[in-house]
Amino acid sequence: MSSSFVTPTSTFVTAMHRILIFLLFSTFNIVLAQNFTLSGYVKDSSSRETITKAQITVTITGVKYTPTELRSTTNGYGFYSLTVPAGKHTLIVTAPSYAPLATQLDITNNLEYNILLSPDVEGMGTVTIRSKRNNNVKSLDISTQNINGQTIKKIPAFLGEADVIKSIQLLPGVTTVGEGASGFNVRGGSIDQNLVLMDEAPVFNSAHLFGFFSIFNPDAVKDVELVKGGIPANYGGRLSSTLDVKSRDGNKRSYQTNGGIGSIFSRLTVEGPLALPESKNLLKPRKTPAKSSFMVSGRRSYIDVLAKPFLPDNLAGSQFYFYDLTAKANYSYKRDNIFISTYIGDDVFKAAGLFGVKWGNSTVTARWNHVFNKKLFSNFTYYYSRYRYNLEFMNRDVTFNWKSNIVNNSAKVDFNYFLNPKNTLAFGGQITHYRFIPGEAIAKSATLNLKFGLPDRYALENAVYISDDWNANGKFSIRAGIRLSQFMYLGPGKVYLFNREPGKQGILDSMYSTQNGDIVANYINPEPRLGFKYQLNSSSSIKGGFNRMVQNLHLISNTAASVPFDVWQPTTNNIKPEIADQIALGYFKNFNGKHEFETSIEGYYKTLQNQVDYIDGASLLLNELLEADLLTGIGRAYGLEAYIKKSSGNLTGWISYTLSRSERKVLGINNDEWYANRFDRLHNLYVVSQYKINEKWECAANFVFSTGTPATFYTGQYTVQGYVIPDAGSNARNNVRNPDYHRLDLSVTYHRKKSKKFESNWVFSCYNVYNRRNPFSIYFATNYQGKGQNEAIRYSVIGSAIPSVSYNFKF
Amino acid sequence: MKFSKSIIFNGLVALSIGLLSTGCEDVIQVDVIQKSPKIVVDAFVNNQLDTQTIKLTRSIGYFDSSGSEPAITNAQVAIIDQSSALPKLFVFQHSSQGKYQFVPNATSGDTFTVGHDYALLVVVDNDTLVSFSPLNPTTTIDSIRLVDVEGNGPPINTTGKYVELMANDRKGPGDFYWIKTFRNDSFLNSISQLNISADMGNTSRGQDGELFIYPVRYNGVNDFLRSFKTGENVRIEIHSINGLAFAWFNLVVSENQNGGLFATPPANIFTNITSLNPKKKTALGGFFCMSAVASASVKIP
Repeated sequence: MSSSFVTPTSTFVTAMHRILIFLLFSTFNIVLAQNFTLSGYVKDSSSRETITKAQITVTITGVKYTPTELRSTTNGYGFYSLTVPAGKHTLIVTAPSYAPLATQLDITNNLEYNILLSPDVEGMGTVTIRSKRNNNVKSLDISTQNINGQTIKKIPAFLGEADVIKSIQLLPGVTTVGEGASGFNVRGGSIDQNLVLMDEAPVFNSAHLFGFFSIFNPDAVKDVELVKGGIPANYGGRLSSTLDVKSRDGNKRSYQTNGGIGSIFSRLTVEGPLALPESKNLLKPRKTPAKSSFMVSGRRSYIDVLAKPFLPDNLAGSQFYFYDLTAKANYSYKRDNIFISTYIGDDVFKAAGLFGVKWGNSTVTARWNHVFNKKLFSNFTYYYSRYRYNLEFMNRDVTFNWKSNIVNNSAKVDFNYFLNPKNTLAFGGQITHYRFIPGEAIAKSATLNLKFGLPDRYALENAVYISDDWNANGKFSIRAGIRLSQFMYLGPGKVYLFNREPGKQGILDSMYSTQNGDIVANYINPEPRLGFKYQLNSSSSIKGGFNRMVQNLHLISNTAASVPFDVWQPTTNNIKPEIADQIALGYFKNFNGKHEFETSIEGYYKTLQNQVDYIDGASLLLNELLEADLLTGIGRAYGLEAYIKKSSGNLTGWISYTLSRSERKVLGINNDEWYANRFDRLHNLYVVSQYKINEKWECAANFVFSTGTPATFYTGQYTVQGYVIPDAGSNARNNVRNPDYHRLDLSVTYHRKKSKKFESNWVFSCYNVYNRRNPFSIYFATNYQGKGQNEAIRYSVIGSAIPSVSYNFKF
Repeated sequence: MKFSKSIIFNGLVALSIGLLSTGCEDVIQVDVIQKSPKIVVDAFVNNQLDTQTIKLTRSIGYFDSSGSEPAITNAQVAIIDQSSALPKLFVFQHSSQGKYQFVPNATSGDTFTVGHDYALLVVVDNDTLVSFSPLNPTTTIDSIRLVDVEGNGPPINTTGKYVELMANDRKGPGDFYWIKTFRNDSFLNSISQLNISADMGNTSRGQDGELFIYPVRYNGVNDFLRSFKTGENVRIEIHSINGLAFAWFNLVVSENQNGGLFATPPANIFTNITSLNPKKKTALGGFFCMSAVASASVKIP
């Protein structure tokens, strides 16, 4: 940690302290005498893994009390707390993929009550309990999608490999530029506008192999939450969405191994209790769960190993692989839980003697949960996160090596205060130090050792937030919060001042050096957040939300698809913070007949400020005066999302349809008119379905249809000095549409007969079944063999149907 | 160090996709409409005594066969020396197919002078087009060195004789060059061999006054698919250009090599030709640049 991290001279931190102290010690103890607190954790009955987002509903009987139904949701660590009146009440606990649990409780005192849920086996639970679910209708969350590890694994996937990001891309409001594109686009936002968290730590590139796979190993993932709108105040730093990925804690009762062998890579996960064995038979599940457990999960591709014998001599020694490793350990003692988790992953491509590239994320997170009392839950987090890439070129005698990094260290604290039946508070703060290494290059030969590059950049980002979930009368609820964020662009470094004409390249006016501790630019932004829900009846509701988001890290990329070595750039004196305001409104309705359906329809409108674009022909690599080539403009995105989901019975799945538009207006581009973003798609239809034939066989199908993305086409050409010059004469940006994208994937799973200790399955899948050549892009080139004739070339990343087989096991 | 993001990454993607064996490219029909043709001025004029040519054409549709641009034959073309005591006019006469020519004459003093500023005037379609360019000094060539190379894979595939340009950048920053290689008097004009330099290198990074960097003095002057043969004549010319021309050439190269998965949006290549009547909104393309030339040649033994 550099020294600027520990010199928060700002009054900001002091203010944060005051708020915390105020909240902790002021007049919050207004519990009425006859009320008691029911609190505890919700856990998996066999592994003792905590369950997030479980719904706890208490129906008040015997005493007069409004509302008659009290609800609480477990937080990210499986903790819940409810204030209830004394008396005998019915408690119902539900969670996706778990059988619902109903029980009678006689509340005469404050009660610590830990709840164990068993995995859902179809047929368990009565219809009455099922109809109490309706979590999507009753929760205050709007524009939020949760997917757990099991669902992800059931969706047919590219090359048979279940994938977190690929699953996310089938949800309403989420699109992608195409196969081979890293990341995903949410409600008309670019890929860098998603806050992707792995155990609280941000990752800066979520893609392996140019986006064919994501960096998250589904075996290690507990659940994933995507928030697209009405974003709560505890999240901040990106404009469009939050993708919160939580890793599994590890089984606290027995050792467990699971893994898979696929065509591209293999996976292995080992987990179990960290304690002295109870009996000599290590495989026997413990009677008392251990206080501590671990989980280690890894993947590695092996195309390079398989391809080695077939490589020509001049490529021998080439490397191309990716790997990732997720590890986590935890320890619980009375009211404290400690978690330490880490992720390391890299992609390596090296063509011997020509070039090499390597990129990857690594994160370390340490967390401490402490339950101060039955109503106050706290979590303290420290994380380190780094994204780096290396590029290497060899040109006979000269080797050129270039690396770039973004490193951040952060400490944060989050509190959940379950104040009274009507109010739940969330508050906390965060402080993050960033170091950007935009480019360090070394050119080496027998006679030369030349070091050059761009100066490092430093920044400090602080935030405090407070938010209250207020249940007014059982029908009307409000979530109101505010986040105050501060971004300081710090020295040491070089500061550039430009003379600018709107829409033109900046001309360097002057530059100066700064010292450690200098504050070059300081931006403070309040970010109000608001959500509301009006319960029409037990199975339908209307919800709405407003959020202002501020983003101070910008991914600088002007290519059709994002590449791993796009550069992250902080807000500076020249680049202003990006700001987005979004309103969303939705109607949620469940049908609880013989078959259960969840449905929703949501609309949103978003405006964006200070969006980064580039002058024509901007040079983004190793450009010290990069900021001169950047233009800023405004954006707007709006759309309608319809969603229907069936989660019970033999046939399950969802259909999602999104009608959307995403546009931008930047002085100096497209004759200063609005133009569609590169990822704009008007229609998006996703159908995801799974059918369980019997205990042995399951099949699944996906269908995807999306309107083609826009592209800029040349219109004319001319010749100067013998060089053919392509001409985009009208200056238009994204003036033509690529053809529509559509694709069908199928898969069949065969479950081998289960034994007590071993279970396994085979997955046969086919991606792009009817062999469509979906264009990723259309580009232009001069065919010199054809006497200089210009041609339009369709580039399809996946140009055929791709069958695959994988084998998964668990023991 | 010059490299192109798209080229490297297309290579990488080809490598990885090739292993997944499914990526593909095919030529398709696309309808694009050129709204109105541009008037294109191709005016690279130098201080040598050879016949100087300025060419006027109109741009054609992107998918038309190149070279079929219609010539503009009814224009009036002249260059004005703005630095001489009395502005001096060099009139270019139309010869054929849109080529307007001027023959310098050393004895009458009708030559272009290093250090002077020049203006181009073109009267066409009831409009007057103008452009300006300095005639910057060029550097000197010490020699052309012969190098025997054993080809063993990219970028050099053919074993044989290659050349190295031994020349220093002029002292002081702000010198720009266009280096042209001629093989038996035919100019190696493929876009991949467009060789320009800002001071010593491809980018002006404060490297100044010494030998051009390796990619400029070696990679840029050879055709690595075809080594030079005994008896062939190699001539290298260093044309002085200016910063704007350097930027223009850079854009021409990057637009011509833009493609594949990581293509950037096609950019409009700017021009330094402007109309005196902005209301007419005449669509213009091309470039005007005055150059001084240093030249050396060698016969391959």
